[in-house]
Parts: sequence; structure tokens; C-alpha cells
Amino acid sequence: MTDTLAQPRPKNAAPWEKLGSRVRFASWITSLVPAAIFVAAWLGLQLDFMAALLAIFLPIQLAFGAWAGFYSYGRKGVNDGLLMVVTFFFSTFVLVLLASVIWSVISEGAAALSPHFIYQNNRYITGTTGLEIGGAGHAILGSVIITGITTVITVPLAIATAVYLTETRDGARGVVRTLLQALAGLPSVVAGLFIYSMLIVSGWSSQVGVMASLALIPLMLPTISRVAEEALRLVPSELRNGALALGAPSYKAFFMVTLPAAKSGIVTAVLLGVARIIGETAPLILTAVIANETNANPLAGGMATLPTYIYNFLYLGDATSLQRAWGAALVLLIFVGILFVGARVASATRVGSKPKRRKK
Amino acid sequence: MSNLNHLETKDINVWFGERHVLRDVSLQFQNNHVTALIGPSGCGKSTFIRTLNRMHELIPTAGLSGQVLLNGEDIYAQAVDPVNVRINIGMVFQKPNPFPTMTIRENILSGLKLSGRKIEDGDGLVETSLQRASMWNEVKDRLSEPALSLSGGQQQRLCIARSLAMDPNVLLMDEPCSALDPGSTRRIEETILELKENMTIVIVTHNMQQAQRVSDSTAFFLSENGNPGEVVEFDTTENVFKRPKDDRTNEYVNGRFG
Ligand SMILES: Nc1ncnc2c1ncn2[C@@H]1O[C@H](COP(=O)(O)OP(=O)(O)OP(=O)(O)O)[C@@H](O)[C@H]1O
Ligand SMILES: [Mg+2]
Repeated sequence: MTDTLAQPRPKNAAPWEKLGSRVRFASWITSLVPAAIFVAAWLGLQLDFMAALLAIFLPIQLAFGAWAGFYSYGRKGVNDGLLMVVTFFFSTFVLVLLASVIWSVISEGAAALSPHFIYQNNRYITGTTGLEIGGAGHAILGSVIITGITTVITVPLAIATAVYLTETRDGARGVVRTLLQALAGLPSVVAGLFIYSMLIVSGWSSQVGVMASLALIPLMLPTISRVAEEALRLVPSELRNGALALGAPSYKAFFMVTLPAAKSGIVTAVLLGVARIIGETAPLILTAVIANETNANPLAGGMATLPTYIYNFLYLGDATSLQRAWGAALVLLIFVGILFVGARVASATRVGSKPKRRKK
Repeated sequence: MSNLNHLETKDINVWFGERHVLRDVSLQFQNNHVTALIGPSGCGKSTFIRTLNRMHELIPTAGLSGQVLLNGEDIYAQAVDPVNVRINIGMVFQKPNPFPTMTIRENILSGLKLSGRKIEDGDGLVETSLQRASMWNEVKDRLSEPALSLSGGQQQRLCIARSLAMDPNVLLMDEPCSALDPGSTRRIEETILELKENMTIVIVTHNMQQAQRVSDSTAFFLSENGNPGEVVEFDTTENVFKRPKDDRTNEYVNGRFG
């Protein structure tokens, strides 16, 4: 055993986190006083919550923020204090908004959620049928199938587009990029109408799952290819040159070096693409109708999806139908949640995460 | 094998767009010699070294005339595949560029995989390549760690080892030590001296001492008043540094220039 000079890390090994007593005092005052005044004004004067928040809390908080900055750091602290208050206020505002949306979906949807809601379909269900029977199983199946087909078709197309834009020097890239931007602004109902009028009204096909998948492609494509393009562009050119200098043909340099380096960005791109289309309603109503029966065949018969299911029951408007709509919204939310967590995990696998010791 | 490493350029001219940046460069890189390319910034050394393994043509506006002969055959001949050229003529860049998504071991073997060749004895190749780059002892227990966990100097030596695994005839190095500390620099210089037993080496350097320590011949590049870069003097390293024929060379190697 050799002696080691290494010492265990002390508890307070972060001197930059120690705040001076002035700063601590000022930040306590600044966080407590405006909040207290706000609560007093809101409850005491019976003001509207939003009005009190914007007209009383924000100005007072700003004034105190500026004072705290000045008190702690002098003149140069004033702007810091103001900026801090503004960023905190609005980010909290958005966060609360988001949380309340999610919370309302969860609290309203939980009542409708039950095992049979996940697997039963909408047969013999009217707007007033009790929640003991019937469910969104057919819609879940439909969403998975339609979104799945769209994803399988679009991902290669979108990534190929991104590769074309980043890896080649072709003259038409500008045009393609402009078209992609235009496509990104395409209202989804137009995409649905296009498929409806060209392929369905013309008699070439009927309202089936695949038609819905086709209508969703132009919506998903620009999202994926633009994000994937950014991800590929971020890969340093030194890596690509390094691969080419080792005698790699361009396609191998791309598949073995550039693409793996951009992997997490591309996974994010696919994910955003799925998130973009999974909630689409209008094109689905036009192309796959609002079906009530379970149908796993995308080539024949109408197909329900979660958004059209929600739309249908919102439209009916009875108390139980609204509960069903909320339930389906909750299912959709859970879906997106699983998707995001899954993608995070998939793209987070790091190099050499399982070290194999070489024995000699 | 040692007689198959002869590289030679004839009247290389380079343009970027309409701009002429290198004029009539004709150099001979002798078998198993180290040749240093020196000269002020912007005179075209990097550009020139990139013409030697056809990396130059990857720049969109690049233009070139002249010949680069490897053992008598023009690497720019129509029938020659640039991929094969780059397999025979390896390159180490100024900035270490190990592949970040691969482990140390995978980085060493990446060249074979990228160029589509079979890996017969992977472990052996990894060991000999790292040994030739004199870093085997440092990393032999961490072969499956990500390449980016190495220090900058180690990353550069890993990149050298990665090139060596391809067993090239010629190794091109563009300022390989410019981002490194004196210790790593010394080790890379020692590596260069060992490697030249088996291959021809061309190295760009801004460090006059380094050029004198490692090279047998030296070419001095210069581009004056916006004219295209040219080779002012090309001779044995000793002559270039001790008995330069051209005044401009004299001024440059003695640090009174650029
Ligand atoms: N990709 C490019 N496009 C256009 N011009 C370029 C390009 N690369 C280099 N040049 C020009 O070619 C000339 C030579 O550049 P080069 O990089 O070869 O110089 P260098 O001798 O390697 O300089 P340094 O010692 O600073 O690395 C410079 O004038 C430079 O502006
Ligand atoms: Mg250079």
C-alpha cells in the first residue's frame, strides 16, 4: 500500500456558492415582501387573481428586485435584479400554465380511465351511455397504426432530405429548403383535403387508415428534416474529414461517423415529428372517418384515432361524453409522455458504458 | 516494402475559385525520410499537404494542376480511386479528431472498418498501433472507454495510432503538435523518428526547433505580396537552417520574418 495524498471532499467545497449576508438579507426581503403584499391585496381587497398578479405583484416585485440588486451590488446590480425578476416571473407563469393544463387533463380524465376504457371500443355507445362500458381501445389502436405507418414512411424521407441539405453541394438545396419551410406552414386540413379530393372523392380509394397516414406525411416531413438538418450540421467537419482521410467512401463516413455523432439530435427530430402528428384531427376526419368499431386493417374500413374520438365526444356534449373525451386526452398525454421518456433513454446510451477490463 | 514509399510532386498549382494560391511546387519526398514544410502563415502549406492525399478536392472551390506521383504513379490519374490513395497516404490533422461515439479500441480499428477491409487480429493490431504511437502503456487498461476521455495530447497520439493501423506508405501531418504541451510534443517527435524506418513522413510545422529535430529535408514556402505561394528553397534540413542559399530563407529560419 502506498500512501495517498488525496483527501475526501469537504462539505463546503464550493466557495462560489457562499452568499454575503447583505445579498442573503436582500433576497429574503425581495422574495417575501411582494408576495405578502400580493396575498393581502388579493384576499383583503377581493381583487381578481390575474389582475392582482399583473397589476400589484409584478410591479412591486420589480421594484424590490431593482432595490435588492442595488443594495447588494450597487448600480450595476439594478439591471441584474430586474432581469432576474422578469425571467423568474414569466418562466414560473408558463410553468404553472403548463402544469395546470396537464393537471386538468389528469384530474378530469382519471374518472373515465379504467381497464375497459383502454381495450373496449365504441360500439353501441351513445353520448349518454354510462362509463361502465365502452372505451377508446379502437382509437388507441388506430392512432398507433396510422402514426406508425406515417412514421415508417416519413423518417427515411425526412432524414434523406436532411442529408441532401447538409452533405451535398447541389445547387437545388435552396429551393428544397424553401419548399420545406412552406410545407411546415401548411394547414393540416389542407393536407387532409388534398388526399380527400385527389384520392378519395375521385374514387381511387375510400376512407381508410392508409389515406390518413398519407395525409399526415407532409405534416411530419418538414418537422423531422429541419431538426435533423440542424443536428447533422452540428457535427464538426473535422470528424467527417478524419473519416475520409482514413479511406472511407462518403457513404461509410456518413453512416459510421456523422450519423452516430448526430444520433440524439435525430432521435429528437423523429420524436418531435411524431408529437406533431399524433394530435392531428382535421385531416383524419376527412380521410379515415370517425369509426366506432375496432379495425386493425389500414386498407379497408374507417379507423378511429384518439383525436377524432375526442372530437366526436366533445361534439356530442353530454356529461359522460365529455368525461370520455377527457379520458382519451389523458391517454394521449400518457402516450406522448412514454414516447419522450423512451427517446431520452434511447438517445442517452453513451460510448463504452460497459467497461470491459482487459486482463493480461 | 521500404522501397515503395517514394512520393513526388510535379508542378503543383492550386486555385481556390479564381485565386491562385500555390505555384509550380515540385518536391521529392525520399524513401523513409521526414520532410518538413515550413513558412509563414497563409503561404499554402496546409493546402499543399492536402493535395498529397486528395483531401484537397473536398473543398468546393478547389482547383489543381500538376502531378503527385506515389512510386511513379499519378494519384490524380483518371483510373485512381481517391479512397485507395487515402488508404496508402494517411493524414493527421492539426486538431485532434478522434471519433466521439467510439471507444479507444474502436477508434483504432475504425480505419479498417471505414475502408471496408477485414480485421484479422483486432487485439494485436490495437496493441501494435498504440505501441507505435507510444501510448500503449498509458491506455491498455482503458481500451473500452470513450476516446474523448483522453487528454488532448493523448487524443492526438490516438489519431496517429489510428492512421498507423492502416499501415500507410506515407504519413502526412499538418502541425500535429500545435495544440500540445512540450511533453506530448516530445513523445510525438520520438514516434516520428521511429516511424520513418517504415514510411515516408511529411510534416508541416511552425516550430523551427521541431523541424531541425525531426526532419531530414526541409521545404520553405513563401507567398509574397499576395502572390501565390511558392517553394523558395528545398534542401537537406541542415543546409536550409545552417547554410540557406536564399536571403528570405535565412531571415525566416532565424526568426526575422513574417
Ligand atoms: N477553403 C478555402 N477556400 C478559399 N481559400 C482558402 C481555403 N483554404 C485556404 N485558402 C487560402 O489559401 C491560402 C493558403 O492557406 P493555407 O491554409 O494552406 O495556409 P498555411 O500555410 O497552412 O497557413 P497556416 O500556417 O496559418 O496554417 C490562404 O491565403 C488561404 O486564405
Ligand atoms: Mg495550415
